[in-house]
Amino acid sequence: MDASSVAEFVAVALRVSTPLTLAALGVLISTRAGVLNIGIEGMMLAGAFAGVVVSAFTGSALLGLAAAILIGAALGALLATAVHVAKADLILSGIAINIAAAAGTTLLLFLITGSKGVSSSLPSKTLPTIDIPLLGDLPLVGMAVSGHHILTYTAFLAAPLVALFLTRTPVGIRLRAVGEKPEAAAAAGVNVRRYQFWALAASGAFGGVAGAFLSMGYVSWFGQNMTAGRGFIALAAEVMGGGSALGTMLSAVVLGTAETISITMQGGGLPSELVQTVPYIVPILALLVHAMRRRRIARKSAA
Amino acid sequence: MSRKALAPAIVTIVILAIVVITVMLPLALTTQDPVGVLETFLFGPFRNLRYLGNIVEMATPTMLCGLAVALMFRSGMFNLGVEGAFYLGGLGTVAAALLLPMPWWAAAPVALAAGAVIGSTVCVLPGVMRAHFDTSELVTSLMLNFVALFVGLFVLNYFLRDPAAGAMASYKIPLEAQLPRIVPGTRIHLGTVLALLACIGGAIYLFRTAGGFEARLVGSNPSFAAHLGLPLRRVMVRSAALGGLIAAFAGGIEMLGLYTRFSWQALPGTGWVGVTVAILARDNPLLLIPSALFLAYLQVGGDLVGRNFDVPIEGVGLINALVLLIATAAAIIRNPMLLRLVSGERSAGLTKSLPKAEAH
Repeated sequence: MDASSVAEFVAVALRVSTPLTLAALGVLISTRAGVLNIGIEGMMLAGAFAGVVVSAFTGSALLGLAAAILIGAALGALLATAVHVAKADLILSGIAINIAAAAGTTLLLFLITGSKGVSSSLPSKTLPTIDIPLLGDLPLVGMAVSGHHILTYTAFLAAPLVALFLTRTPVGIRLRAVGEKPEAAAAAGVNVRRYQFWALAASGAFGGVAGAFLSMGYVSWFGQNMTAGRGFIALAAEVMGGGSALGTMLSAVVLGTAETISITMQGGGLPSELVQTVPYIVPILALLVHAMRRRRIARKSAA
Repeated sequence: MSRKALAPAIVTIVILAIVVITVMLPLALTTQDPVGVLETFLFGPFRNLRYLGNIVEMATPTMLCGLAVALMFRSGMFNLGVEGAFYLGGLGTVAAALLLPMPWWAAAPVALAAGAVIGSTVCVLPGVMRAHFDTSELVTSLMLNFVALFVGLFVLNYFLRDPAAGAMASYKIPLEAQLPRIVPGTRIHLGTVLALLACIGGAIYLFRTAGGFEARLVGSNPSFAAHLGLPLRRVMVRSAALGGLIAAFAGGIEMLGLYTRFSWQALPGTGWVGVTVAILARDNPLLLIPSALFLAYLQVGGDLVGRNFDVPIEGVGLINALVLLIATAAAIIRNPMLLRLVSGERSAGLTKSLPKAEAH
């Protein structure tokens, strides 16, 4: 591997890690508020779909992104309402959102385009890429980190912002209190339900952005079930991240790099079906290692 | 039975009707002939024996997947590997039927057993990891579903693929391995009987055996179960293994009962329907039967509408999702006001102390 292909690998890894990072940060926000967002997969899918359709009909990529954020947040709010108001089960409602998003997007895609597979007949827009001045002019570094999609930079800037929000702002600290000890938070006058509602809405908004990246950046169309389990991989990234935003981002990048390796391996003579399992096997192994390490630490501190 | 005891069931049925109408009415209105669409959706499945048979055929695998989900959920495991187990079970069964040399009478049983064991890994691995390392079985099983899919596609492409079949499909399943059809005029096969027996067996296991009692205890109150000295890990792994075997077995009988070649290119979604079936049945194995039949009826109605009108069958997926959402919604299903309304009581406080005025 020469230097330029290393730079190219880094560039692809950053691109592949973008939706995982965004979605994992979304999962982190809701998990810290004590509500696991299994529906993130469906929220991503709905965001990807809304971005394509709205940008195609309005001619504006920005409105497409706004629609993706809105639909994600709306589904998050729906999940919170199902759990708090209708007293439905959190996990099962999340699964329901995934099933509904898969069925609903296929249904609407067919009603709008007459095709159940892809949206290529829609003139949808993509969001722009950004060249970083100065840094982008450097030979190899520029190739690796400049000229990326605007949402890639958003994702990696969002991680420290979410970290600041969760650890340094009163709202973020209360949100974590709600997740840590809801009874204590309630006793201190924090409205637990309201925090969980907005945490799930924010989580969904992140999922929506992650979806918009897939359909308005990674590729420029919507395909049936195009998220392909990335929301679930994001759940794993959040677990591996140990509850911190930067840890979550790093885990997402590790898993994204695994996926990048599998993408670059696909031309290499190995059966492509087996190579395609890599992005799903690596999170399982990572969770296993994570759990074993946690167990060892727990045993040490007990002894 | 009194109206009071039936009230929750009646509320459920009314809500299901509302869900179906909320999804199907707007869909029907997008077409030229909304009345025809609704009529076909609601009454089409009863129009002839073949369609009625379709309902039973479709309920067979979802009933079994529901049983797998119910057994695992009852023991407190949110193991969602049923989807992958169903897929891999179907593939493993076909692979065994094609690759293992067997006398004719052993073909179906051996293939089904092999498929069940192979497919069950999708549920067992997350179960073992949960029991021994406390990893989230939810996340690992969701991931393993995709691994199962791609491993399955690999086996299909490299070992089972019939180059003469045109599309990606396996060689023909040997005739002696196929399950016999049991109702003339339909495709209802022996697997349906096995599925019904499995549901009854599941009910006996859960409610009449020590193992089932342990599983339910671990599921409903793990710390109490641990305090009693129950082997938590063993109970968890046992439930995952049972669930995995049943879901994979469902995939196997689906293949040997209805198909001539294995050609699934994507996860078929049957496991997810099984989740809805189980939740609608309140994880009660006997209620899985009507619950699976009901969802299959919707599916057949959706298929008929899809075939005769320009309405995509994905509407049924939306109904499934809403049913799943609402079936767990205690505030709706167990709403005291609704229940009282249905059971015809005037006030909850009074009825207990007052003797019944009128007989129903």
